[in-house]
Amino acid sequence: MALMKASAFNLRDKFGDWWDGANSAQRTVFRIVLIGIFYALPMLNNPIIDTPETSFSSVLFYPLIMFSLMAVGLNVVVGKSGILDLGYVAFFAIGAYTHAVLSIHTPLNFWEILPFAMAFAMLAGVILGLPALRLRGDYLAIITLGFGEIVRIVAVNTEAIGGAAGLTDIPGPTSILGIEFTVMDPRPYYWLTLTLLLLVIWGVIRLSHRKPGRAWEAIREDEDVAEFMGVATLKYKLWAFIIGGAVGGLAGAIYASQIRSIQPELFTLNLSIMILACVVFGGMGNIWGVILGAVILGYAPEKLRFLSDYRIIFFGLLMVVMMNIRPNGLMPRKKREHFQEKSK
Amino acid sequence: MSKKLLEVQDVLVNFGGVTALNKVNLHVSEGEIAALIGPNGAGKTTVFNIVTGYYTPTSGRVIVDGESVLGLRPYQIARKGLGRTFQNIRLFGDMTAAENVATAADSLNKSGLVGSLFGGPRSRRDEAASMEKAHELLRFIGLDHRALQMAKNLPYGDQRRLEIARALALNPKVLLLDEPAAGFNPQEKIELGELIRKIRDRGFAVLLIEHDMSLVMDISDRVSVLDFGQKIAEGTPVEIQKNQRVIDAYLGVAEDAS
Repeated sequence: MALMKASAFNLRDKFGDWWDGANSAQRTVFRIVLIGIFYALPMLNNPIIDTPETSFSSVLFYPLIMFSLMAVGLNVVVGKSGILDLGYVAFFAIGAYTHAVLSIHTPLNFWEILPFAMAFAMLAGVILGLPALRLRGDYLAIITLGFGEIVRIVAVNTEAIGGAAGLTDIPGPTSILGIEFTVMDPRPYYWLTLTLLLLVIWGVIRLSHRKPGRAWEAIREDEDVAEFMGVATLKYKLWAFIIGGAVGGLAGAIYASQIRSIQPELFTLNLSIMILACVVFGGMGNIWGVILGAVILGYAPEKLRFLSDYRIIFFGLLMVVMMNIRPNGLMPRKKREHFQEKSK
Repeated sequence: MSKKLLEVQDVLVNFGGVTALNKVNLHVSEGEIAALIGPNGAGKTTVFNIVTGYYTPTSGRVIVDGESVLGLRPYQIARKGLGRTFQNIRLFGDMTAAENVATAADSLNKSGLVGSLFGGPRSRRDEAASMEKAHELLRFIGLDHRALQMAKNLPYGDQRRLEIARALALNPKVLLLDEPAAGFNPQEKIELGELIRKIRDRGFAVLLIEHDMSLVMDISDRVSVLDFGQKIAEGTPVEIQKNQRVIDAYLGVAEDAS
């Protein structure tokens, strides 16, 4: 046992041991400090973490926290349930367009539109999922890929929602708790997204530790056996799509409210692949891993901007090297095992 | 006569041009250990795949506790009372032993995803019940010390027993065991025989596919023999051992003898 521990990468075990031994007061303090640091991030003005050419606080909003939110949503589908979704950007687009259209054409404000953005994305999850989830593996992946493209092409060809030119003059969120959301300052959007991300993390962790989490994992491990063990696999795969979709729609609505104008070209396959890369790179199925993946993959191209177009080469190199060193991602999904002596 | 919990009636299965099962009739009654034997390729595992809903028979009926289960999805049939294990172990490798069992136990409650998210009293109670059942079954099967280890890291014999515990979590009316003794040494086979008896004594009927004849003859109340998709014999272990057709099926018939 000592041997096994020594051979493993230890930081995680050290933290895990501390966490297991900590009482609830210590855990609460740890959580508050950590969350506090994240809320304080945009206040930092440090040349080491600052990004050239774009302000750090705007990078913090897009891509960092946006990628993180989407990666957490996609992780429910890809990491937890093992369904390869190559069209996740569709949900992001649906959320963005829902906010854009409703805020321009109706008196509803951002906060009232948020539930609609999530609901429409969830509905899209059902519409895509019901026929597609009867398939598996490569076939399912191709359908999701097609879905992502269909949503974008429909947006390009629908004049009522701006066609290829997209929509402009989208209103931002109305002020809340004395915080104003302006075009110039991305920080309130970061705080808003961070708050919602924390709620999403809370929900996903809660589900993961209970019946739905076990059902998703069982489906990922062996779908046929899950079914033999009484798991309603279609229902839980559909739920994974719906939850992933809701989170994507949420992210899209916030994004549209911040950048104030959207075009179909923002929602290409590249973005789906990018979010998928965050999930795989960070560690499929591990919520902290995928956030770390999103932060690194979002941050690296911005930080490397001084290399101009060569940065893409370095970015590719970083991914190839990392996936060789840690093929299961930076922080792979791994449960900490507890060994006990036999009781008899 | 005791109640029939599982009945296979005139089941015919064609895969393309191959007849995998030809008008097979089988049943498992309350409180019995029934065995299904036959040479490799006789169609034994096909029987399991038919009754659990993985394949649909070309014709014939499958009845669980008096109700036809034809056309139901495998998870619905599992909830009606059929739990199975697999010839080649198929655990949820990246889940702990307790989670493996709890996953099956979960299907007995009706808690939904929304309830689990917001933590209503029912989902709390169901969650506790699943974990309680998982630990109780692991104790029963002698694996409670493995509860928090990953299924894929368990020793071979423990994996086989964990599969049985997982199937029992469905509260099955009939437990279907597909070659549970494969890869076991003689001592382990004896222990397995005792375990199967213990399972029967707890009130679960058992249908056993097994190649190890000493185990089958030792614990079974009734043995059915399949050969090339046909049932060629059925009876007590003693009757089966003397049955000429069974002996021929296993050993082959000499050309000049016929």
